[in-house]
Amino acid sequence: MSAKQIVVEAKNLKLFYKPNEPIIKSASIEVHKGDFIFLTGKSGSGKSTFLKSIYGEIPVGGGGLKVQGFNLANISNSNLALLRRHIGVIFQDYKLINEWSVEKNVMLPLIIAGYSKEVCETQAKKLLNHVKLPHKAKNFPMELSGGEQQRVAMARALAHNPKLIVADEPTGNLDEYSSEVIWNLLKNVKNHLGSTIIVVTHKIPSTASLDYRQFYLDNGSLHEII
Amino acid sequence: MKSFKNHLSFLIPLFILLFSLQFSKMIDRGVKEYESKLTNEYSIILVSKSKLKVKDLKKLDNSIEKLKEEDINHYIKSLSKEEVSKADLVYLKSTLPYFYSIYLEKLPSSQHLSNLKTQLLSQASVLDVNIHKETFEKLHQFLLLSKGASYLFTVFIFVISILLIVKQMEIWAYEHNNRMYIMGLFGAPYWLKSAPLYKLVIIDSIIATLLVSFGFLYLPYLANLKKIKADMGIQLSNFHLFTDTASLLFISIIISVIAVSLTIYKQER
Repeated sequence: MSAKQIVVEAKNLKLFYKPNEPIIKSASIEVHKGDFIFLTGKSGSGKSTFLKSIYGEIPVGGGGLKVQGFNLANISNSNLALLRRHIGVIFQDYKLINEWSVEKNVMLPLIIAGYSKEVCETQAKKLLNHVKLPHKAKNFPMELSGGEQQRVAMARALAHNPKLIVADEPTGNLDEYSSEVIWNLLKNVKNHLGSTIIVVTHKIPSTASLDYRQFYLDNGSLHEII
Repeated sequence: MKSFKNHLSFLIPLFILLFSLQFSKMIDRGVKEYESKLTNEYSIILVSKSKLKVKDLKKLDNSIEKLKEEDINHYIKSLSKEEVSKADLVYLKSTLPYFYSIYLEKLPSSQHLSNLKTQLLSQASVLDVNIHKETFEKLHQFLLLSKGASYLFTVFIFVISILLIVKQMEIWAYEHNNRMYIMGLFGAPYWLKSAPLYKLVIIDSIIATLLVSFGFLYLPYLANLKKIKADMGIQLSNFHLFTDTASLLFISIIISVIAVSLTIYKQER
């Protein structure tokens, strides 16, 4: 039987915002292909910081971190860009481009990957249907509610069929309907595409009827809850 | 509407900058042409006991271009109409020195002219030298003043337009910072993140160049300029369509690309 492929591997990872004041003191984790991970912890425990280190927004301050084979402790700008093109990120504050239409926002990872306009449009249409916003394609993000904006961000994160999806409090400020749409979609992506998903959340949703692993960040250390 | 405003806010300083550069070039050309006209008309009068050759004078000063002997017969003929005896006229002709007009290659400075006079007078055969100092100095000072004023104007306008462009760079940084940051999070390469800004400034560079070129092409047809041209006998707005348009386009693209690159470099840091 072959060993499961490791997608994210952290060994004694340290992360800093200020020198000598680590947010993460020692985090070790192995995330395998197809895993659904919930990362929980108190506010300010460093959950979002850990997630940011996965797509290289926070530099590795010590220890080791490998994501999809890339060593983030020693990564060039071009390789970091390459890695980011293979990750789907859902941000707590959506991070949509306000000057672009909803459709173009969803197309962003495909534009970066160099797909043709037709492919981008078809995929954006399909994903906007999945997040139940086909009628908002030509709108701008500012014309949407928070829940709708997060669904657009979700569609954008899935546009290029990434093998790794990271989500920071994806349903943190959302109404029940939008939360349900997002959890169902993440579940479908895991079940049908076999993507690896890491979600930072305060509370694991009761609707999450799936196999998952839960980690808890406390006092700068990461523990798996079994 | 927003896109039009985006273009206009960069187009205006760029247009002013190119206009001031071309205006300075135009004044410079006009002054040079006027200088050349003055040089052609200006001559030093030299009186000599013996015949002179231009190559001998060139040894004294290399800026001497040609030497023209004045025809004294013309003056003697005019005297013959008056009550002067033929014998006196013959005597006069035999004793009169040689009169020369000396033409220079370029318009000299007052100092150069004084030095030249001293050098010419130091020659044994030279009796007198007239450099028309006062008239010449007035013209020379006027030319220097025109040049200085036009350069000062250009520098002033240039500085103002650069300040406006710097202000525009701050606006770009504010407007595009969020978009470029988000694109960066998804792994967009440099060229893709900065493409909208480069596209905007290249379009603006072309528009500004065309506007300035058309402006300077039609400037000669303005009534006031026509009169100045006629009065001074020069081509004040000699615009060279291809070379000037090409150099304006080159300058505007270089300035625009530097402005955008600096903005993006700051954002990347």
